[in-house]
Amino acid sequence: MDYLIFSFSLMLVYIGLAQLLHVQFGLLGIPNFGVVGFWGLGLYGTGVLYVSYSMPLIVAILLASLITAAVAYILSHLVLQRSGQAILAATLAFAAIVATLIITEKDITGGVQGLGTIGFPFADVASRNVIYFFLLMVVVVLLIWISAKLRDSRMGRSLIAIRDNEELAASLGKDTAGTKRGVFVLTCALMGLLGGLTAPLHQFLVPYLLAPSLTFAVWIALVLGGKGHNLGAMVGVFATFGLFDILIETYAPVPAEQAILLPNFKLFCYGVLLVMIIMFRPAGMLGVDGPRTRARPATTPAGDASVKEG
Amino acid sequence: MFEAQALRSGYGEMAVLKDLTFSVKDEVFAVLGANGAGKTTLLKTLARLLPLQGGSLSLNGADVSNAPAYAMPDAGVAYVPQEGNVFPDLSVQENLSIGGRTGHRPKAEKLEEVFTLFPRLKERRGQAAGSLSGGEGQMLAVARALMQDPKVLLLDEPSAGLSPLFVDTLFSSIAETRKERGLTIVLAEQNAVKTLEIADRVMVLSLGEMHLLRPRSELEMSDITAAYHI
Repeated sequence: MDYLIFSFSLMLVYIGLAQLLHVQFGLLGIPNFGVVGFWGLGLYGTGVLYVSYSMPLIVAILLASLITAAVAYILSHLVLQRSGQAILAATLAFAAIVATLIITEKDITGGVQGLGTIGFPFADVASRNVIYFFLLMVVVVLLIWISAKLRDSRMGRSLIAIRDNEELAASLGKDTAGTKRGVFVLTCALMGLLGGLTAPLHQFLVPYLLAPSLTFAVWIALVLGGKGHNLGAMVGVFATFGLFDILIETYAPVPAEQAILLPNFKLFCYGVLLVMIIMFRPAGMLGVDGPRTRARPATTPAGDASVKEG
Repeated sequence: MFEAQALRSGYGEMAVLKDLTFSVKDEVFAVLGANGAGKTTLLKTLARLLPLQGGSLSLNGADVSNAPAYAMPDAGVAYVPQEGNVFPDLSVQENLSIGGRTGHRPKAEKLEEVFTLFPRLKERRGQAAGSLSGGEGQMLAVARALMQDPKVLLLDEPSAGLSPLFVDTLFSSIAETRKERGLTIVLAEQNAVKTLEIADRVMVLSLGEMHLLRPRSELEMSDITAAYHI
Protein backbone atom coordinates (compact mmCIF):
# COMPACT_ATOMS: atom_id res chain seq x y z
CA MET A 1 0.00 0.00 0.00
CA ASP A 2 2.80 2.39 0.90
CA TYR A 3 4.44 1.62 -2.43
CA LEU A 4 1.23 2.48 -4.28
CA ILE A 5 0.89 5.78 -2.44
CA PHE A 6 4.55 6.52 -3.23
CA SER A 7 3.96 5.72 -6.93
CA PHE A 8 0.80 7.80 -7.17
CA SER A 9 2.55 10.67 -5.39
CA LEU A 10 5.39 10.49 -7.91
CA MET A 11 2.84 10.41 -10.72
CA LEU A 12 1.35 13.63 -9.39
CA VAL A 13 4.81 15.20 -9.50
CA TYR A 14 5.21 14.06 -13.12
CA ILE A 15 1.79 15.52 -14.00
CA GLY A 16 2.81 18.80 -12.40
CA LEU A 17 6.09 18.88 -14.33
CA ALA A 18 4.27 18.05 -17.57
CA GLN A 19 1.79 20.91 -16.93
CA LEU A 20 4.68 23.33 -16.47
CA LEU A 21 6.35 22.02 -19.63
CA HIS A 22 3.02 22.49 -21.41
CA VAL A 23 3.14 26.18 -20.45
CA GLN A 24 6.81 26.52 -21.43
CA PHE A 25 6.69 24.61 -24.71
CA GLY A 26 3.03 24.12 -25.61
CA LEU A 27 2.02 27.74 -25.07
CA LEU A 28 5.29 29.67 -25.31
CA GLY A 29 7.46 27.43 -27.51
CA ILE A 30 10.49 27.19 -25.20
CA PRO A 31 11.97 23.68 -25.66
CA ASN A 32 13.23 23.11 -22.11
CA PHE A 33 15.18 19.85 -22.09
CA GLY A 34 16.56 20.55 -18.65
CA VAL A 35 13.42 19.74 -16.64
CA VAL A 36 15.33 17.33 -14.42
CA GLY A 37 17.94 20.03 -13.74
CA PHE A 38 15.41 22.51 -12.33
CA TRP A 39 13.51 19.77 -10.51
CA GLY A 40 16.84 18.45 -9.19
CA LEU A 41 17.90 21.88 -7.92
CA GLY A 42 14.69 22.02 -5.90
CA LEU A 43 15.14 18.44 -4.72
CA TYR A 44 18.74 18.76 -3.61
CA GLY A 45 18.35 22.38 -2.48
CA THR A 46 15.60 21.22 -0.11
CA GLY A 47 17.70 18.24 0.99
CA VAL A 48 20.80 20.32 1.76
CA LEU A 49 18.88 23.07 3.58
CA TYR A 50 16.85 20.55 5.57
CA VAL A 51 19.63 18.12 6.46
CA SER A 52 22.73 20.32 6.70
CA TYR A 53 21.13 23.55 7.93
CA SER A 54 18.23 22.03 9.87
CA MET A 55 15.69 24.34 8.31
CA PRO A 56 11.99 23.47 8.60
CA LEU A 57 10.89 21.50 5.53
CA ILE A 58 8.51 24.13 4.17
CA VAL A 59 11.15 26.87 4.50
CA ALA A 60 13.73 24.64 2.82
CA ILE A 61 11.35 23.91 -0.08
CA LEU A 62 10.49 27.59 -0.62
CA LEU A 63 14.13 28.67 -0.38
CA ALA A 64 15.18 25.94 -2.82
CA SER A 65 12.50 27.17 -5.25
CA LEU A 66 13.90 30.69 -4.98
CA ILE A 67 17.42 29.36 -5.69
CA THR A 68 16.00 27.54 -8.74
CA ALA A 69 14.35 30.78 -9.87
CA ALA A 70 17.65 32.67 -9.53
CA VAL A 71 19.51 30.06 -11.60
CA ALA A 72 16.70 30.07 -14.21
CA TYR A 73 16.92 33.87 -14.37
CA ILE A 74 20.64 33.75 -15.17
CA LEU A 75 20.09 30.98 -17.71
CA SER A 76 17.22 32.90 -19.33
CA HIS A 77 19.53 35.85 -20.04
CA LEU A 78 22.05 33.54 -21.66
CA VAL A 79 19.84 31.40 -23.87
CA LEU A 80 16.22 32.47 -24.26
CA GLN A 81 16.74 34.82 -27.21
CA ARG A 82 18.66 32.13 -29.14
CA SER A 83 17.14 29.62 -31.57
CA GLY A 84 15.07 26.65 -30.43
CA GLN A 85 17.94 24.22 -31.03
CA ALA A 86 20.28 26.36 -28.95
CA ILE A 87 17.79 26.49 -26.07
CA LEU A 88 17.30 22.73 -26.29
CA ALA A 89 21.06 22.05 -26.19
CA ALA A 90 21.74 24.62 -23.47
CA THR A 91 19.01 23.37 -21.12
CA LEU A 92 20.10 19.76 -21.69
CA ALA A 93 23.67 20.78 -20.86
CA PHE A 94 22.43 22.68 -17.80
CA ALA A 95 20.75 19.53 -16.44
CA ALA A 96 23.96 17.56 -17.02
CA ILE A 97 25.94 20.23 -15.14
CA VAL A 98 23.54 20.08 -12.18
CA ALA A 99 23.77 16.27 -12.09
CA THR A 100 27.58 16.41 -12.27
CA LEU A 101 27.83 19.03 -9.52
CA ILE A 102 25.63 16.88 -7.28
CA ILE A 103 28.21 14.09 -7.63
CA THR A 104 31.39 16.19 -7.42
CA GLU A 105 30.38 18.60 -4.63
CA LYS A 106 30.08 15.81 -2.10
CA ASP A 107 30.83 18.04 0.89
CA ILE A 108 27.52 19.76 0.27
CA THR A 109 25.41 17.12 -1.44
CA GLY A 110 26.83 13.88 -0.07
CA GLY A 111 27.95 12.89 -3.60
CA VAL A 112 27.31 9.30 -4.62
CA GLN A 113 26.83 8.30 -0.97
CA GLY A 114 23.63 10.29 -0.88
CA LEU A 115 21.93 12.76 1.39
CA GLY A 116 19.28 12.07 4.02
CA THR A 117 17.12 11.51 5.74
CA ILE A 118 14.27 13.82 4.82
CA GLY A 119 11.13 12.99 6.71
CA PHE A 120 7.52 13.76 5.96
CA PRO A 121 5.96 16.69 7.71
CA PHE A 122 3.43 15.80 10.44
CA ALA A 123 5.85 13.13 11.74
CA ASP A 124 3.49 12.12 14.56
CA VAL A 125 0.66 11.10 12.25
CA ALA A 126 0.51 7.43 11.23
CA SER A 127 -0.80 7.97 7.72
CA ARG A 128 1.42 10.95 6.99
CA ASN A 129 2.25 9.65 3.50
CA VAL A 130 -1.47 9.65 2.62
CA ILE A 131 -1.87 13.20 3.93
CA TYR A 132 1.21 14.22 1.96
CA PHE A 133 -0.29 12.61 -1.17
CA PHE A 134 -3.39 14.77 -0.83
CA LEU A 135 -1.24 17.82 -0.19
CA LEU A 136 0.63 17.10 -3.42
CA MET A 137 -2.69 16.64 -5.18
CA VAL A 138 -3.83 20.09 -4.07
CA VAL A 139 -0.63 21.62 -5.49
CA VAL A 140 -0.92 19.74 -8.79
CA VAL A 141 -4.65 20.39 -9.22
CA LEU A 142 -3.88 24.07 -8.67
CA LEU A 143 -1.21 23.90 -11.41
CA ILE A 144 -3.67 22.19 -13.79
CA TRP A 145 -6.34 24.79 -13.02
CA ILE A 146 -3.94 27.69 -13.63
CA SER A 147 -2.70 26.10 -16.83
CA ALA A 148 -6.29 25.58 -18.06
CA LYS A 149 -7.30 29.14 -17.24
CA LEU A 150 -4.14 30.48 -18.84
CA ARG A 151 -5.02 29.26 -22.35
CA ASP A 152 -8.18 31.34 -22.57
CA SER A 153 -6.78 34.35 -20.76
CA ARG A 154 -5.29 37.50 -22.23
CA MET A 155 -1.90 36.34 -20.96
CA GLY A 156 -2.32 32.92 -22.60
CA ARG A 157 -3.18 34.46 -25.96
CA SER A 158 -0.08 36.66 -25.66
CA LEU A 159 2.06 33.59 -25.02
CA ILE A 160 0.64 31.82 -28.08
CA ALA A 161 1.19 34.97 -30.15
CA ILE A 162 4.83 35.12 -29.04
CA ARG A 163 5.25 31.40 -29.78
CA ASP A 164 3.71 31.73 -33.26
CA ASN A 165 5.47 34.90 -34.38
CA GLU A 166 7.71 36.73 -31.94
CA GLU A 167 8.48 39.64 -34.28
CA LEU A 168 4.81 40.27 -35.03
CA ALA A 169 3.95 40.05 -31.33
CA ALA A 170 6.65 42.63 -30.56
CA SER A 171 5.27 44.96 -33.22
CA LEU A 172 1.89 44.73 -31.45
CA GLY A 173 3.30 45.99 -28.18
CA LYS A 174 4.37 42.77 -26.47
CA ASP A 175 7.63 42.82 -24.53
CA THR A 176 8.44 39.37 -25.91
CA ALA A 177 11.87 38.95 -24.27
CA GLY A 178 10.56 40.07 -20.88
CA THR A 179 7.48 37.85 -21.09
CA LYS A 180 9.53 34.80 -22.09
CA ARG A 181 11.99 35.43 -19.28
CA GLY A 182 9.27 35.96 -16.69
CA VAL A 183 7.29 32.84 -17.61
CA PHE A 184 10.46 30.73 -17.89
CA VAL A 185 11.74 31.80 -14.47
CA LEU A 186 8.35 31.30 -12.80
CA THR A 187 7.73 27.86 -14.31
CA CYS A 188 11.29 26.72 -13.55
CA ALA A 189 10.85 27.90 -9.95
CA LEU A 190 7.66 25.79 -9.78
CA MET A 191 9.62 22.82 -11.17
CA GLY A 192 12.03 23.44 -8.29
CA LEU A 193 9.07 23.55 -5.92
CA LEU A 194 7.90 20.16 -7.20
CA GLY A 195 11.48 18.91 -6.73
CA GLY A 196 11.40 20.12 -3.15
CA LEU A 197 8.05 18.44 -2.59
CA THR A 198 9.52 15.19 -3.97
CA ALA A 199 12.33 15.13 -1.38
CA PRO A 200 10.22 13.64 1.46
CA LEU A 201 8.90 10.96 -0.93
CA HIS A 202 12.42 9.66 -1.63
CA GLN A 203 13.65 10.48 1.89
CA PHE A 204 17.22 9.66 0.83
CA LEU A 205 18.59 11.57 -2.16
CA VAL A 206 21.07 9.99 -4.58
CA PRO A 207 22.47 11.41 -7.85
CA TYR A 208 20.74 8.64 -9.81
CA LEU A 209 17.46 10.50 -9.27
CA LEU A 210 18.72 13.23 -11.58
CA ALA A 211 19.01 10.94 -14.62
CA PRO A 212 17.85 12.56 -17.90
CA SER A 213 15.17 9.88 -18.18
CA LEU A 214 12.88 12.08 -16.04
CA THR A 215 13.09 14.87 -18.60
CA PHE A 216 12.44 12.43 -21.44
CA ALA A 217 9.50 10.82 -19.60
CA VAL A 218 7.85 14.22 -19.12
CA TRP A 219 8.50 15.17 -22.74
CA ILE A 220 7.14 11.85 -24.02
CA ALA A 221 4.04 12.33 -21.86
CA LEU A 222 3.56 15.83 -23.28
CA VAL A 223 3.95 14.69 -26.90
CA LEU A 224 1.70 11.64 -26.38
CA GLY A 225 -1.07 13.63 -24.76
CA GLY A 226 -0.75 16.64 -27.04
CA LYS A 227 1.53 19.58 -26.39
CA GLY A 228 -1.13 22.08 -27.42
CA HIS A 229 -3.75 20.67 -25.07
CA ASN A 230 -4.01 21.53 -21.43
CA LEU A 231 -5.04 18.03 -20.38
CA GLY A 232 -2.71 16.33 -22.87
CA ALA A 233 0.19 16.40 -20.43
CA MET A 234 -1.94 14.66 -17.80
CA VAL A 235 -3.24 12.00 -20.20
CA GLY A 236 0.35 11.42 -21.36
CA VAL A 237 1.54 10.79 -17.80
CA PHE A 238 -1.31 8.30 -17.23
CA ALA A 239 -0.42 6.52 -20.49
CA THR A 240 3.26 6.24 -19.60
CA PHE A 241 4.08 6.44 -15.90
CA GLY A 242 0.62 5.35 -14.76
CA LEU A 243 0.38 2.41 -17.13
CA PHE A 244 3.93 1.07 -16.84
CA ASP A 245 5.34 2.20 -13.49
CA ILE A 246 2.18 1.60 -11.54
CA LEU A 247 -0.19 -0.82 -13.27
CA ILE A 248 2.24 -3.19 -14.98
CA GLU A 249 5.05 -3.09 -12.41
CA THR A 250 2.62 -3.57 -9.52
CA TYR A 251 -0.06 -5.85 -10.86
CA ALA A 252 1.21 -7.67 -13.98
CA PRO A 253 1.96 -11.33 -13.14
CA VAL A 254 5.57 -11.18 -14.29
CA PRO A 255 7.92 -13.93 -13.01
CA ALA A 256 10.59 -12.54 -10.71
CA GLU A 257 13.46 -13.53 -12.99
CA GLN A 258 11.91 -11.55 -15.88
CA ALA A 259 10.87 -8.56 -13.80
CA ILE A 260 14.35 -7.18 -14.27
CA LEU A 261 13.53 -6.72 -17.96
CA LEU A 262 10.51 -4.51 -17.24
CA PRO A 263 12.35 -1.14 -17.29
CA ASN A 264 13.81 -1.94 -20.71
CA PHE A 265 10.42 -3.18 -21.94
CA LYS A 266 8.94 0.08 -20.69
CA LEU A 267 11.43 2.15 -22.71
CA PHE A 268 10.73 -0.01 -25.77
CA CYS A 269 6.99 0.59 -25.42
CA TYR A 270 7.54 4.35 -24.92
CA GLY A 271 9.46 4.37 -28.20
CA VAL A 272 6.80 2.44 -30.11
CA LEU A 273 4.03 4.64 -28.66
CA LEU A 274 5.92 7.77 -29.59
CA VAL A 275 6.47 6.63 -33.19
CA MET A 276 2.80 5.63 -33.54
CA ILE A 277 1.59 8.94 -32.18
CA ILE A 278 3.93 10.97 -34.40
CA MET A 279 2.87 8.94 -37.46
CA PHE A 280 -0.87 8.76 -36.92
CA ARG A 281 -1.78 11.54 -34.52
CA PRO A 282 0.93 14.21 -34.58
CA ALA A 283 -1.09 16.59 -32.41
CA GLY A 284 -1.17 13.97 -29.62
CA MET A 285 -3.98 11.83 -28.21
CA LEU A 286 -6.14 14.83 -27.38
CA GLY A 287 -5.18 16.84 -30.44
CA VAL A 288 -4.81 20.58 -30.60
CA ASP A 289 -6.55 22.85 -28.13
CA GLY A 290 -7.08 25.57 -30.67
CA PRO A 291 -9.66 28.32 -30.90
CA ARG A 292 -13.29 27.25 -30.81
CA THR A 293 -13.83 27.11 -34.53
CA ARG A 294 -16.92 27.22 -36.63
CA ALA A 295 -17.05 25.08 -39.72
CA ARG A 296 -15.86 26.92 -42.78
CA PRO A 297 -18.26 26.93 -45.75
CA ALA A 298 -17.39 24.15 -48.17
CA THR A 299 -17.45 26.54 -51.11
CA THR A 300 -16.61 30.21 -51.26
CA PRO A 301 -19.19 32.60 -52.69
CA ALA A 302 -18.82 33.04 -56.42
CA GLY A 303 -17.12 36.19 -57.52
CA ASP A 304 -15.44 36.76 -54.19
CA ALA A 305 -12.26 38.50 -55.21
CA SER A 306 -10.65 38.25 -51.82
CA VAL A 307 -10.40 34.50 -51.87
CA LYS A 308 -7.49 33.06 -53.74
CA GLU A 309 -7.67 29.66 -55.30
CA GLY A 310 -7.47 26.82 -52.82
CA MET B 1 5.87 62.18 -38.03
CA PHE B 2 9.05 60.22 -38.92
CA GLU B 3 12.35 62.05 -39.44
CA ALA B 4 15.34 59.95 -40.55
CA GLN B 5 18.89 61.34 -40.68
CA ALA B 6 21.62 59.29 -42.40
CA LEU B 7 19.72 56.15 -41.43
CA ARG B 8 21.72 52.92 -41.65
CA SER B 9 20.20 49.57 -40.86
CA GLY B 10 20.40 45.90 -41.76
CA TYR B 11 20.85 42.42 -40.42
CA GLY B 12 23.75 41.68 -38.07
CA GLU B 13 26.87 43.26 -39.51
CA MET B 14 25.39 43.58 -43.00
CA ALA B 15 24.12 47.06 -43.86
CA VAL B 16 21.08 47.08 -46.16
CA LEU B 17 19.92 50.69 -45.87
CA LYS B 18 22.70 53.17 -46.57
CA ASP B 19 22.49 56.68 -45.12
CA LEU B 20 18.86 57.46 -45.90
CA THR B 21 17.69 60.96 -45.05
CA PHE B 22 13.98 61.64 -45.41
CA SER B 23 10.89 62.66 -43.51
CA VAL B 24 7.36 61.31 -43.52
CA LYS B 25 4.60 63.86 -42.96
CA ASP B 26 0.82 63.58 -42.84
CA GLU B 27 0.57 61.74 -46.17
CA VAL B 28 0.65 58.45 -48.06
CA PHE B 29 4.40 57.94 -48.39
CA ALA B 30 5.16 55.24 -50.94
CA VAL B 31 8.40 53.27 -51.02
CA LEU B 32 8.98 51.59 -54.36
CA GLY B 33 11.78 49.34 -55.49
CA ALA B 34 12.63 45.96 -56.96
CA ASN B 35 13.20 42.82 -54.88
CA GLY B 36 16.13 43.32 -52.51
CA ALA B 37 15.90 47.11 -52.70
CA GLY B 38 15.46 47.38 -48.92
CA LYS B 39 11.74 48.19 -48.66
CA THR B 40 11.00 45.59 -45.97
CA THR B 41 14.18 46.50 -44.10
CA LEU B 42 13.09 50.14 -44.08
CA LEU B 43 9.64 49.34 -42.70
CA LYS B 44 11.08 46.98 -40.07
CA THR B 45 13.51 49.72 -39.06
CA LEU B 46 10.69 52.26 -38.73
CA ALA B 47 8.78 49.68 -36.62
CA ARG B 48 11.99 49.34 -34.52
CA LEU B 49 12.22 45.62 -35.25
CA LEU B 50 15.75 46.16 -36.56
CA PRO B 51 18.44 48.11 -34.70
CA LEU B 52 20.00 51.19 -36.24
CA GLN B 53 23.59 50.78 -37.41
CA GLY B 54 24.00 54.51 -37.77
CA GLY B 55 22.14 57.81 -38.05
CA SER B 56 19.02 58.70 -36.14
CA LEU B 57 15.27 58.30 -36.25
CA SER B 58 12.65 60.43 -34.56
CA LEU B 59 8.88 60.24 -34.33
CA ASN B 60 6.93 63.44 -33.72
CA GLY B 61 10.12 65.06 -32.46
CA ALA B 62 11.00 62.29 -29.98
CA ASP B 63 14.15 60.28 -30.61
CA VAL B 64 13.18 56.64 -31.20
CA SER B 65 16.59 55.47 -32.46
CA ASN B 66 16.91 53.06 -29.53
CA ALA B 67 13.23 52.49 -28.78
CA PRO B 68 12.16 48.84 -28.50
CA ALA B 69 9.60 47.51 -30.97
CA TYR B 70 7.04 46.90 -28.23
CA ALA B 71 6.97 50.63 -27.40
CA MET B 72 5.96 51.69 -30.91
CA PRO B 73 2.21 50.83 -30.79
CA ASP B 74 1.78 53.16 -27.81
CA ALA B 75 3.58 55.82 -29.87
CA GLY B 76 0.89 55.36 -32.53
CA VAL B 77 2.72 53.12 -35.02
CA ALA B 78 1.11 49.99 -36.46
CA TYR B 79 3.03 47.60 -38.69
CA VAL B 80 1.59 45.09 -41.18
CA PRO B 81 4.31 42.72 -42.41
CA GLN B 82 4.22 41.16 -45.85
CA GLU B 83 4.43 37.54 -44.65
CA GLY B 84 3.56 35.78 -41.43
CA ASN B 85 1.18 38.58 -40.56
CA VAL B 86 -1.37 36.60 -38.53
CA PHE B 87 -1.17 34.28 -35.52
CA PRO B 88 -2.36 31.02 -37.10
CA ASP B 89 -3.36 29.21 -33.87
CA LEU B 90 -5.51 32.06 -32.60
CA SER B 91 -9.00 32.76 -33.92
CA VAL B 92 -9.79 35.78 -36.09
CA GLN B 93 -11.32 37.58 -33.12
CA GLU B 94 -8.38 36.72 -30.85
CA ASN B 95 -6.01 38.13 -33.49
CA LEU B 96 -8.05 41.32 -33.57
CA SER B 97 -8.21 41.53 -29.78
CA ILE B 98 -4.42 41.45 -29.51
CA GLY B 99 -4.32 44.52 -31.76
CA GLY B 100 -7.05 46.22 -29.77
CA ARG B 101 -5.08 46.46 -26.54
CA THR B 102 -3.52 49.79 -27.46
CA GLY B 103 -5.44 53.04 -27.77
CA HIS B 104 -8.11 54.48 -25.48
CA ARG B 105 -11.37 53.49 -27.15
CA PRO B 106 -13.29 50.39 -25.96
CA LYS B 107 -12.22 47.24 -27.76
CA ALA B 108 -15.83 46.32 -28.65
CA GLU B 109 -16.30 49.64 -30.44
CA LYS B 110 -13.14 49.14 -32.50
CA LEU B 111 -14.13 45.56 -33.25
CA GLU B 112 -17.49 46.65 -34.65
CA GLU B 113 -15.71 49.22 -36.80
CA VAL B 114 -13.35 46.74 -38.43
CA PHE B 115 -16.17 44.24 -38.87
CA THR B 116 -18.09 46.94 -40.76
CA LEU B 117 -15.03 47.60 -42.92
CA PHE B 118 -14.31 43.89 -43.43
CA PRO B 119 -17.61 41.95 -43.08
CA ARG B 120 -15.91 38.73 -44.18
CA LEU B 121 -13.91 38.77 -40.94
CA LYS B 122 -17.11 38.94 -38.91
CA GLU B 123 -18.32 35.75 -40.61
CA ARG B 124 -15.05 34.07 -39.74
CA ARG B 125 -14.56 35.53 -36.26
CA GLY B 126 -14.38 32.12 -34.50
CA GLN B 127 -12.21 30.46 -37.13
CA ALA B 128 -8.48 29.82 -36.69
CA ALA B 129 -6.54 32.52 -38.56
CA GLY B 130 -4.26 29.85 -40.03
CA SER B 131 -7.18 28.47 -42.04
CA LEU B 132 -7.93 31.77 -43.82
CA SER B 133 -7.13 32.33 -47.50
CA GLY B 134 -4.33 34.73 -48.48
CA GLY B 135 -6.73 37.61 -49.09
CA GLU B 136 -8.61 37.04 -45.85
CA GLY B 137 -5.31 36.83 -43.96
CA GLN B 138 -4.23 40.17 -45.44
CA MET B 139 -7.60 41.68 -44.47
CA LEU B 140 -7.13 40.39 -40.93
CA ALA B 141 -3.62 41.85 -40.71
CA VAL B 142 -4.82 45.29 -41.86
CA ALA B 143 -7.88 45.10 -39.60
CA ARG B 144 -5.72 44.19 -36.60
CA ALA B 145 -3.48 47.17 -37.32
CA LEU B 146 -6.54 49.45 -37.44
CA MET B 147 -7.64 48.04 -34.06
CA GLN B 148 -4.51 49.71 -32.66
CA ASP B 149 -5.98 53.15 -33.46
CA PRO B 150 -2.66 54.10 -35.07
CA LYS B 151 -1.49 57.48 -36.27
CA VAL B 152 1.03 55.91 -38.65
CA LEU B 153 0.37 52.69 -40.58
CA LEU B 154 3.35 50.81 -42.03
CA LEU B 155 2.17 48.51 -44.83
CA ASP B 156 4.65 46.09 -46.35
CA GLU B 157 3.59 44.95 -49.84
CA PRO B 158 -0.07 44.39 -48.96
CA SER B 159 -0.85 43.36 -52.54
CA ALA B 160 1.74 40.55 -52.70
CA GLY B 161 0.16 37.26 -53.75
CA LEU B 162 -3.37 38.64 -54.06
CA SER B 163 -5.71 38.41 -57.05
CA PRO B 164 -5.87 41.64 -59.16
CA LEU B 165 -9.51 42.28 -58.25
CA PHE B 166 -8.74 42.15 -54.54
CA VAL B 167 -5.73 44.43 -55.01
CA ASP B 168 -8.17 47.08 -56.33
CA THR B 169 -10.43 46.58 -53.30
CA LEU B 170 -7.48 46.71 -50.93
CA PHE B 171 -6.07 49.94 -52.34
CA SER B 172 -9.55 51.52 -52.23
CA SER B 173 -9.78 50.51 -48.55
CA ILE B 174 -6.36 52.03 -47.85
CA ALA B 175 -7.34 55.30 -49.55
CA GLU B 176 -10.68 55.35 -47.72
CA THR B 177 -9.04 54.66 -44.36
CA ARG B 178 -6.57 57.48 -44.97
CA LYS B 179 -9.42 59.84 -45.80
CA GLU B 180 -11.66 58.85 -42.88
CA ARG B 181 -9.08 58.52 -40.14
CA GLY B 182 -6.42 60.95 -41.35
CA LEU B 183 -3.82 58.23 -41.02
CA THR B 184 -0.26 58.67 -42.20
CA ILE B 185 0.57 55.64 -44.33
CA VAL B 186 4.00 54.37 -45.29
CA LEU B 187 3.38 51.92 -48.10
CA ALA B 188 6.15 49.67 -49.45
CA GLU B 189 5.09 48.18 -52.77
CA GLN B 190 6.26 46.64 -56.04
CA ASN B 191 3.00 47.47 -57.78
CA ALA B 192 3.97 50.98 -58.93
CA VAL B 193 0.83 51.61 -60.99
CA LYS B 194 -1.58 51.00 -58.11
CA THR B 195 0.67 52.78 -55.62
CA LEU B 196 0.81 55.97 -57.71
CA GLU B 197 -3.00 56.14 -57.60
CA ILE B 198 -2.99 56.79 -53.85
CA ALA B 199 0.51 58.09 -52.99
CA ASP B 200 1.28 61.72 -52.09
CA ARG B 201 5.06 61.29 -52.26
CA VAL B 202 7.20 58.50 -53.66
CA MET B 203 10.64 57.25 -52.69
CA VAL B 204 12.42 54.76 -54.93
CA LEU B 205 15.04 52.53 -53.33
CA SER B 206 17.68 50.52 -55.12
CA LEU B 207 20.14 48.31 -53.23
CA GLY B 208 19.42 50.21 -50.03
CA GLU B 209 20.10 53.66 -51.50
CA MET B 210 17.54 56.35 -52.21
CA HIS B 211 17.40 57.22 -55.91
CA LEU B 212 14.31 59.34 -56.02
CA LEU B 213 12.08 61.21 -53.58
CA ARG B 214 9.46 63.42 -55.13
CA PRO B 215 5.79 64.43 -54.79
CA ARG B 216 3.48 62.31 -56.90
CA SER B 217 2.34 65.37 -58.84
CA GLU B 218 5.88 65.95 -60.11
CA LEU B 219 6.44 62.37 -61.10
CA GLU B 220 6.11 60.41 -64.34
CA MET B 221 6.15 56.65 -64.64
CA SER B 222 9.31 56.97 -66.75
CA ASP B 223 11.11 58.56 -63.75
CA ILE B 224 10.29 55.53 -61.67
CA THR B 225 11.32 53.09 -64.38
CA ALA B 226 14.62 54.93 -64.73
CA ALA B 227 15.20 54.82 -60.96
CA TYR B 228 14.36 51.09 -60.87
CA HIS B 229 17.12 50.40 -63.38
CA ILE B 230 19.89 52.26 -61.57
